[in-house]
Amino acid sequence: MARHDKDSARPLIPISRREFLNRSSSALAGSMVIALILPEGSSAGIAGADYDWDRHRWVYLIDTTKCIGCGSCVRACRAENSVPEDMYRTWVERYEIPAEGEAFIDSPDGAEHGFDPVATGLSVRKGFFVPKLCNHCDATPCIQVCPVGASFATRDGVVLVDPEHCIGCGYCVQACPYGSRFINPTTHTADKCTLCYHRITTGRKTACVEICPVGARRLGDRKNPDDEVIEILATQRVEVLQPELLTRPQAFYLGLDMEVR
Amino acid sequence: MNPESPLIHAKHVFRAAILLLAVLIAMLLGRSLFVPETWGEFGPYRGAAVAEHRDKPIRHGGNDSCAMCHDAEYAEHAGGEHASVQCESCHGPVAFHVDLEEGEVVAEMPVHRSRELCELCHLRLEARPADFPQVDVREHVLSNGGEFTPDACFECHDPHSPI
Ligand code: HEC
Ligand code: HEC
Ligand code: HEC
Ligand code: HEC
Repeated sequence: MARHDKDSARPLIPISRREFLNRSSSALAGSMVIALILPEGSSAGIAGADYDWDRHRWVYLIDTTKCIGCGSCVRACRAENSVPEDMYRTWVERYEIPAEGEAFIDSPDGAEHGFDPVATGLSVRKGFFVPKLCNHCDATPCIQVCPVGASFATRDGVVLVDPEHCIGCGYCVQACPYGSRFINPTTHTADKCTLCYHRITTGRKTACVEICPVGARRLGDRKNPDDEVIEILATQRVEVLQPELLTRPQAFYLGLDMEVR
Repeated sequence: MNPESPLIHAKHVFRAAILLLAVLIAMLLGRSLFVPETWGEFGPYRGAAVAEHRDKPIRHGGNDSCAMCHDAEYAEHAGGEHASVQCESCHGPVAFHVDLEEGEVVAEMPVHRSRELCELCHLRLEARPADFPQVDVREHVLSNGGEFTPDACFECHDPHSPI
């Protein structure tokens, strides 16, 4: 990434240099073991703690034609992020659409335990699964409505909640047109997909992307000139959910159907 | 003193100034109490929240995180039809099994020796992509001469390399 190395003088975020030095010396012994077991991330331009958020712009791509509805992503998300029971930062919906009449849509337990066959009584002509998560919108209503500034977007394009500052009023939960937020029953604060910020800033993929057995979920970086996902966005026909709301979602879909909202 | 002297009003100005100063001090005090330290560092939010999100623990390590201790399974899996299926997808995250700081096993890794595991991905469903290998499990087992038991699949398929 020669192009990226030029501006290495920019400040590293979010850890200040001194804080980082303090922390790293004490954690050195531990991190050496971690480095043995956890393979180093491979995403271009990232090296350990030297993460510069000005050099990344994360996007997400979902290929609904590949999803098999196994729910691995839902389980991995829960385990990786300690998502409380009955709450979902990501989930998978099933669509069974007859030639005429109402479509059948369900998502039992968010697909955490997969799907069973259903007797819809419809003569289904097309069926598919649609994984969903926070769209990390560029122009998001959830940040706008927060009365205390607890919802914010990082410079690398991730919409996050500050649980320390959140007062749990729930305005953002109402404001999100995609149903991506909930009030965490343990902390009583707003909770949502963080795009595994702890993973993507250390060179890893999100847990849901990493676990998907069929490559239906992918992470992309607009500031990486060789990124395959960005190539797909540039050359193929992609859609976003509810584009009429002008929220500029950064989660893109391949093979979406007009039944999907 | 001449009652017309402008100094006669100095007292009022002084009082007002004191009052203003008090209000200012109260405001600054209140601000330092209620506005978090790193507020506004990067934008209208608490800057330290970014680092707090970044410092959360990693729990999924990918297939390579098992290789060091389970090289046989790792090699068998990597060369088989299940190469694209993560170890942690069938078992669980590495961090629940191994203490990543110490490198020691802390808990048993779940082993789901049940056809329910296979059915998550291979049970025939109308919504599944038609080109994905899927079976009507009962029919499939019986027609291959097997017995339809809870762990039927393992009689004929090795989960790490199913064909
Ligand atoms: C630090 C070494 C180490 C790492 C890393 C490790 N394991 Fe293990 N694993 C062990 C040991 C030791 C045992 C045997 C423990 C026992 O029998 O209680 C074991 C047992 C297992 C078992 C069998 C459990 C049983 O009840 O029979 C499974 C399955 C397993 N590991 C899967 C994994 C997977 C998947 C990964 C990677 C995500 C992994 N392990 C990473 C050391 C490791
Ligand atoms: C498709 C699901 C699946 C995947 C993928 C998978 N496993 Fe397993 N694994 C199982 C099942 C099921 C068993 C129990 C098999 C049995 O008892 O016959 C098992 C057993 C094991 C055992 C215990 C072996 C024994 O004989 O006791 C280890 C260790 C293990 N797996 C490690 C791994 C590692 C490492 C990976 C990735 C390289 C992996 N597994 C990938 C499903 C899976
Ligand atoms: C998390 C999802 C997942 C689970 C669980 C899973 N598989 Fe698979 N399986 C796959 C994927 C993905 C493939 C590769 C499909 C392909 O090549 O298109 C595959 C391939 C196979 C194949 C080869 C099919 C072919 O025609 O190439 C068999 C057989 C198989 N799996 C059996 C099993 C059995 C038995 C189990 C239970 C132990 C199991 N699978 C569990 C995802 C899974
Ligand atoms: C008695 C042996 C036997 C048992 C038990 C068995 N299978 Fe199979 N399976 C086979 C054979 C043989 C094939 C390859 C020929 C075929 O497609 O039927 C196969 C193929 C498959 C395929 C690939 C089908 C395709 O279209 O490519 C899948 C998926 C599969 N099995 C899943 C399972 C699952 C899940 C179970 C447990 C419910 C199971 N099998 C139990 C023998 C068995």
